[in-house]
Amino acid sequence: MQQNRTLAIRRRSSGRQTQIIVATILAIFAFIGLFPYLFMLVTSFKTNSQFFHSYLYPALPLHFGNYVAAWNELEPYFLTSAIVAVSTILGSIILGSGAAFVFSHFDFFGRTFLFVLIAVLLAVPSVTTLIPLFLFMKDLGLLNTRLVLILPYIGGSTILTVVIMRTFIDQLPAELFEAAELDGAGGFRAYWNIMLPLSWPIIGTVSLLSIIGVWNDYFWPLLTITQNSLRTIPVGLTYFQGQNATSYGPLFAGYTIASVPLLIFFTFLSKWLLTGIEGGVPA
Amino acid sequence: MVKSAHDYLDQREDVPVHPVGSKPRRKRRNGPRAWRLYLVLLPVFSLLALTHYYPAISGIYHSFYHWRPGYSSPFAGLSHLRDMLKDTLWWQSFEHISEIFAWGVTLGWIFPLIAAELIITLRSQKLRFVFRTLLIVPFAFPLVVRLLIWDFMYDPNTGLINTILGDLGLKSLEQNWLGNPHTALISLLFINFPWVASLPFLIFLAALQNIPTSIFEAAQLDGAGRLRRLWSIDLPLLGRQFKLLIVLAIIEVLQYGVASQILTAGGPNYATNVPVLAAINAAFNEDRWGYGATLGSVLFLIILILSSITLLIRRRQPKPGEFVSAAE
Repeated sequence: MQQNRTLAIRRRSSGRQTQIIVATILAIFAFIGLFPYLFMLVTSFKTNSQFFHSYLYPALPLHFGNYVAAWNELEPYFLTSAIVAVSTILGSIILGSGAAFVFSHFDFFGRTFLFVLIAVLLAVPSVTTLIPLFLFMKDLGLLNTRLVLILPYIGGSTILTVVIMRTFIDQLPAELFEAAELDGAGGFRAYWNIMLPLSWPIIGTVSLLSIIGVWNDYFWPLLTITQNSLRTIPVGLTYFQGQNATSYGPLFAGYTIASVPLLIFFTFLSKWLLTGIEGGVPA
Repeated sequence: MVKSAHDYLDQREDVPVHPVGSKPRRKRRNGPRAWRLYLVLLPVFSLLALTHYYPAISGIYHSFYHWRPGYSSPFAGLSHLRDMLKDTLWWQSFEHISEIFAWGVTLGWIFPLIAAELIITLRSQKLRFVFRTLLIVPFAFPLVVRLLIWDFMYDPNTGLINTILGDLGLKSLEQNWLGNPHTALISLLFINFPWVASLPFLIFLAALQNIPTSIFEAAQLDGAGRLRRLWSIDLPLLGRQFKLLIVLAIIEVLQYGVASQILTAGGPNYATNVPVLAAINAAFNEDRWGYGATLGSVLFLIILILSSITLLIRRRQPKPGEFVSAAE
């Protein structure tokens, strides 16, 4: 007991110093990590002459006009990405949640086989399907349409949704469904009135994963969309960079604008991200 | 709950009745109505057939053909595979992703692990939250924005790195980072330095926070210091997380490509060429669709083999205390 106390005291006295050192190291990590983005933000308000005169530091006055200039160029890319992202999220949740519920809740011939048939697609890299899918979509005449993006994205997100949501529904207490069954609720009722209301966290997770996918995918839209007005944010942004390589203010304003939707989504949904990623992968 | 006629019509005869104490049976056999279940699955499989099954099979099938889109495709046998074996650029691209992988699972994990350990060392919950948030923020930026910003940082004339080196009087160290074959790959690896804003960080942190404090208190009474705790408690308990991260790293590195496409386009002189770019290049630039499909299918095969091996080895019995994983 006596020993305990001395130990505790010793720890506390040396503790404060340690805490300060730890916090300092973390602050350095955070600063280095965030610096490029702070630089982006600061530069996004500068004219070129401000950029060259005070390279590292903020300069007044702030030029909000950079944002207007950038937005005018990025607007069509935003429109495409937004339409594609919303369609992907809605489509994959409608298709995937029903399938996940069926796989989790019912026992039927071929259940395991069909589930594995979906889960195995997680191992298929996008580069494997990229070339054949491109030629297939070309044959269907879908190149340079939004559908050429939406269809494969819904497919990819549905795979994730089925696997992640099934794991989630499996963990819901069986009593809930049994009580409803005794009450006479059928399959659809169990899905609509019991499962869906409990599934919002996991729907948040898969929505976040979907929007990250849409906002980050590069090669597919690069190869399938050549019409400028239909480009998505990732491809449009590299094109935008080529056009504005030396007007630094609008360039960085554009980068900032392109980041906003994803930052907002992360702020609201990040607490669910880990559940989805770890829960969906077999240990 | 509001009951409707529909509810009763839909009621099935086989509602399980559980004797007291028996494990409730969860799954319902659905005999005569089973077709409805398949009806729910039908749209999913139809879409996946279009976007995944057919392309994957078509890719493997056409690996054995001289694929000429719009024309007849003559049989090629194993000639694409023979070409691949002799394709020095293809194998060189695997050297590059091996370096990227080795870098990712060492430095790419050490920094996040250090940061996660430091955060749980903090006693103030508020500070923990603040640092966790600040460290992860870069992760929430779109990939292409991150890459374009680093592209700017490496710019030989106006870039941040050369400018700071110049300001520090280290002009001799200034480089055309992405334009020099000797520094291009290492420059790609340094993107997102110090790599804390990453999935490994989130996973390590979640796992470490879930270790019950009683374990540390017991260790502390035994006189175990901070490093000893890291070595004998934290690292062994992170086993499951390391395994997951290895699989994710394998999948990620074999699909690595956007960074080298945007920053260096695989160059200079193929110094940052990677398998994905090699496959795309063969098909879209050289018009060798069959060969491109072969490379894509081989990548799939490699991912399948490597991740199965990783998931199968070391499947040991969970030890007491191993329940402390982030997923639960």
